[in-house]
Parts: sequence; C-alpha cells; structure tokens
Amino acid sequence: MKEDDIIICRCEDVTLGTIRDLIRQGYTTLEEIKRIARCGMGPCQGKTCTPLIAKEIAAITGKDIHEIMKQNHRPPFGGVTFEEIVSGRDEE
Amino acid sequence: MIREYDVAIIGGGPAGICAAIAAGKNGLKTLLIEERTFLGGQLIKQTHRFFGSEEEHAGTRGIHIAQELKDQLESLSTIDIMTSTTALGYYEDGMLTALHDEKMIKIKPKSMIIATGAFERFLPFENNDLPGIFGAGAVQTLMNIYGIKPADKVLMIGSGNIGLIVSYQLIQAGVQVIGVVEAAAKIGGYLVHASKLRRLGVPILTRHTIKKAVGSEKVEGAVICQLNENWQEIEGTQRQLDCDAICLAVGLTPLSDILSQMGCETTYIGELGGIVPKRTADLETTKPGVFVAGDLAGIEEASAAMLEGELAGLNAVKYVNADERVNDRIHHLKDELMGLRSGPVGEKIRYGLAQLYEESVITKEKIQKHQHDITQLAFTGVPSQENIDEKLPDVQRRLKPYAVIECFQEIPCNPCVASCPFGAIYIPKDDINCPPVVDFEKCTGCRSCISGCPGLAIFVEQYHPQTGTGTISIPYEQLNRPEKGERVDLFGRNGQPLGSGLVTTVLYGQKQDKTAVITVETDIKLVNQVRSIKPLENGKRVVR
Amino acid sequence: MRIREHPILDFERGEQIHFSFNGKSVEAYKGETIAAALHAAGIWHYSESDVLKRPRGLFCAIGHCSSCLMCVNGVPNTRICVTDVVDGMIVESKTGGETE
Repeated sequence: MKEDDIIICRCEDVTLGTIRDLIRQGYTTLEEIKRIARCGMGPCQGKTCTPLIAKEIAAITGKDIHEIMKQNHRPPFGGVTFEEIVSGRDEE
Repeated sequence: MIREYDVAIIGGGPAGICAAIAAGKNGLKTLLIEERTFLGGQLIKQTHRFFGSEEEHAGTRGIHIAQELKDQLESLSTIDIMTSTTALGYYEDGMLTALHDEKMIKIKPKSMIIATGAFERFLPFENNDLPGIFGAGAVQTLMNIYGIKPADKVLMIGSGNIGLIVSYQLIQAGVQVIGVVEAAAKIGGYLVHASKLRRLGVPILTRHTIKKAVGSEKVEGAVICQLNENWQEIEGTQRQLDCDAICLAVGLTPLSDILSQMGCETTYIGELGGIVPKRTADLETTKPGVFVAGDLAGIEEASAAMLEGELAGLNAVKYVNADERVNDRIHHLKDELMGLRSGPVGEKIRYGLAQLYEESVITKEKIQKHQHDITQLAFTGVPSQENIDEKLPDVQRRLKPYAVIECFQEIPCNPCVASCPFGAIYIPKDDINCPPVVDFEKCTGCRSCISGCPGLAIFVEQYHPQTGTGTISIPYEQLNRPEKGERVDLFGRNGQPLGSGLVTTVLYGQKQDKTAVITVETDIKLVNQVRSIKPLENGKRVVR
Repeated sequence: MRIREHPILDFERGEQIHFSFNGKSVEAYKGETIAAALHAAGIWHYSESDVLKRPRGLFCAIGHCSSCLMCVNGVPNTRICVTDVVDGMIVESKTGGETE
C-alpha cells in the first residue's frame, strides 16, 4: 500500500492520491473537491476529511489555510428521516 | 405548538450544564438539549482528579464533578432537560427545530447558548481506516462508561493531555500500553502525566510518527518511524510494533457546523482547534443573543469549559433580563479564565483568543518565570537529577518523614496547598502556575497530600541510616492493590526495575478516594529512586 | 471483554439481553450501545466501506465520524455507537453500493 492509497474521506472512500490529483488538476477549493469527489457529502458531512484535504490544498498550492477553510452548512444536522419531519406536524 | 424559553442550550456536556445552572439559578426559563441519552459529555469519562483551582473543582475526580453538576441541575425547577434530542436547525424567524422522541419539535428561545463540543481528528497513514483504530475518546467511552476492555495492547498516537491521560486510564483498565508516539520534539501535555506513564514503564517516543497500521481485518501491529527536525521521516528507522489497537489522540476540532447555518460568523484559528465562532470576551457570537461555551468556542480543558459555561449562562441572563446583578460574578469568571490561561501552557490559547478580541492578553514578559530548566523532563517525561535535588531537604532533615513534590512545570494547579493539614505546602508569589514548595519545618510527613495531587506527583520519604533502610510512600491507583506485609517489585522514574521491597502500611479510606497510599520499606539507597510498585510477578500474595 | 475489577470505577450493569449481529446472537446489557456490546464480544469488524470494500469498525464512538454505520431493525445507516441495544434487535452489516 502506498501513501496515495491512504483513505482521506472514509465515507466515500476517497484516497489521498485522488485528492492530490484533483488539486493538481486545478480544483483547489474544498467546495470543488466536494462536488467532484463527494468529500463532505457523506454521512459525516466532512468532519473527518475536511481538515486533511485543507492541509493538502495548502501544501500543494501554498494557499493560506484560513482562506481554504470556509464553511457553508445547511440544516438539518445529523440524519433525520422524512417520517420524523412530517409526523411532527401532527404531534404539535 | 411552539415551546418558548428564555434560553435554549444545545449540548449537555460540562459547558452546557454549567450554562444551564447559571441561567436557571437566575430565573431564566431554560431548556437544555442533549443528543445522547445521558448528560455529562466528556466529563463523565474523566476518572482522574482535575487541575486548576479549588473553584474549578481541582483535586476532585471528573466523574464526581459531573455528578455534583447533574445534581445541581436537577434541583432547579426553571430548567427543562431533553436528552435524546438533536438540534436540527435554526431559522431566520428565530425558530429552533429539534428531533425529540422521533418527532420534530419547534422551540422559540429568546437567547441561545451553543455548547456542542468537539470531535476527534483523523490522521493520514496507511490503513488508517482499519477496525482497531480508535479515537482516544472512543477508548475512554468503552472503558469508563461501559466497562469494556478496549484492547489488550495499545499504541497511543499523540502526547497531549488526552493521549497521556487515556494511556494511564488504559493501564488502570488492565490494558498494556506499548508506547506513546509523538511527532514533536517535546511532550505535548502536562509533564506530571508523562512522568506517571514513565514510572509505569511506558516509553514515550518523541519525534516519532506512525506510518502504517498492519492487519487485514483488524489491527495486528503498527509501523512507526523517527522524524528529523523538519518533521520528515529518517530513512531506515521504520520498525514494526505488535499491538491490537491504535489510539489516535491527535487533537480535537470544534463541532461548529450549526453556527454558520445560524448566521453566526466563524473563522479558522488553528490555535483554537479549527473553525470557531467569532465571539466577544463575553462569549457572544456575531448574532446578538447567541452565545457559545466550551470546546466549541476553542479547544481547551474541562475546567475552562465549566467556567465558560457559567459565563455564557450569566451573559444570557443579562441579555434577556438586563439584570446587572450578575456583573460581579461575570467579572470574577473572566479573571478565573485568565488565571487558567496565564502560564506557559496557556500560550497557545492566548494567542488564539487574541485573534478574536482585544483584551489584556498576558504577554511573555509579564509571565513570571518560576521554573528551572526542565528540558530533559519536557523531552522524556523524566526529571533531571537537578530538578529532583531542588525538591529535597538537607540530609539531616531526611531522618524524619518529608514530602517530595515532583511537580516542576508551570501549570495552573493548587489542590496540594489545601490538602496539607499543617499548611506546609505553598505556592510562591501567589501565582497558581508556580510549582509548589514544601516548608520542611511544618511538614510532618503525614501523607495527606499524596492522594490529593491530580498529577500523582507527591511522595513521602524517610531515611533510617542506622538500619541502612528507608521508606517511600507512593500513590497507587492500579489493579491488584498490594497489602501490608506483602513484598512488591520496585521501579524507578524511568520504569527501570529496582529490586523488591516490603509493604509496611496501606492507606485506603474515604479520604484517599481510591488513591491508595502505599508505604514500602527498601534499601536506603533506593528511597529517592523508587517511584512505582507492582505486585510480584510470580504472584506470591499475602492471604487475608 | 467486560471489565470486572477497576481501581476507580464500579460498573453497574442492567439486565442481560440479546441481539443478533449478521444472524449471530450477541449478549448485551441494558444501557449499552450496540457498538459497546459488539466490542465486548470481540466483534470489531462491522461492515465494508461502500466503494473500496474496506473493513470498517468503530472510530469516534460519539456519532460523528460515520465509521460504524449499520442496518438496525431494517433501518440503514444507523450509527451503532450512539444507539442503545434493545432486546431482540437485528443488526446487519451495510451492504453498500446498491443506491448508486
């Protein structure tokens, strides 16, 4: 197993090699990498992978980590089923 | 139905609970939401005694602090507690939605306190997703909440306070810790924690990192390597260690996703752990009436979380009721927080906070330098002979028992002072960061201080030159507590074997609160070297 | 393995119950999470990851890393580290890949 095979995003099985390729191809923001490789879209919503991807972007592009780490979050937080959302109306 | 509250607090860990108590005590109709089935967050896993000052429950075990806080919380009728409830979102109309009892409920709070805490960082290395690789918190959860042995042999990655404390707790649970790996040149956490581990024979490998986890279905081993000053691998230093679990204690990141959705501005501050809310010294975010507290506001210790929780709670009281009576207490809490952060170990936090708000940030020049050269201690966890000699009385005094406090680093901590019934321990210059000093004229060697020290760094010695023997009293918190009359194996500060000795007394009562104080008689030359004991390997024990 | 003796803590366990993990019966105590009970039974490998089929188990144990997702009583993607065991629960590995 090589360094490139290291799992960075465990939700979507995205490896370090894939991330580095994407960055070198010019996708140098978390948002772009999310949309292409799905990192950040899985069940953990980027909690595990985001800091690691940001570090790679900073290392390869020289961008400041503060610029890279910007957030855009939408509710709900954590999983919720449709049934749970709908049944609330009746209960209240 | 919309449930109305003066304040809604998200997160039932130490910060959230303290916020609720402060708000509830001051008449706010308070709602505390917690996603787990139980309250207490990380606090209920902390079996060790806390540092800090008495006000921050120093000297008390985290688990007991948690119980005291929960009791206080439950006694207040102004507080509604909803466990198994997850906050889902916050909307422009001021509505908070949450999942409770499998249904979505709506809450309209006048103010909010977010205390959602943090989660474990992940580390990239080969096979880092293999079963058997756990966050340090996970290991604590298994052994301290559910009473389940996490593994047989653990390799700990990270020598910050969490890595060091969890390693010690693993040993208490009967797990072997094969080593602590630290990428930096120096140990990250409090050095008294490191010393505890070294005495128990656990190697702390600074300038090392993990390259690979070995195993196909579960962890079977780990490959580590040495690093140079530039954090790069030194060729030829890779070696494989046998273990069945790898524990990552490489840092925490605040759980801040809810904030940005709420319209609270966040920013990235590495020193505080990652993305944190922008907030004032009063813990108010950029959204008026929304406060934060605990690890979410910046990764720190539980003591800070509790103080911040109360501070946020009181500021919510001011916001809702314009009640100025809480001002004095608010001022006091800020002073306490400043005190906790004022020493060398608080440098990172101070630097991080300075990027958020202007306040009288203590500069390096103002910090009083009380400690002597502790370079060796910082690199290895073992103090130098000079460090040790500074703590000893003159030879004549050693014929009567005396306390040796092997606490060399400037950390905010003082329960040893109160633990001495004779007032023989004091902190110089009234600075909580200053290492304590023993007045050997007042010290009677009563051993009260041994079990009170959160760092388990106090020992009582006595020399008997006429018989060529001496006694050493040590704290003991492991399994298989030795009994009076038993012979035990002796170990030095490095964990090196020093022969055996006879147990002459064991103090283990309510006052000791599970930290047994065991006195062993040994050769006079070993008295100042023996720092840990174990029941004999061949298991020859005294039968009651 | 459950800890029987500990120098600081006393563990009070609730009543003994059982659940099934991929068809195999596993003992648990009321108040334990599924992950805790599996861990005590020596079961650390829960399922395989979706794409690369890598073995996965517990990581953070507080419901934030999504490493422990399993199908519980027919509900997929359940975080077993924050789900308490109920007598008779059916816990299965996620099979993955089928939604794509």
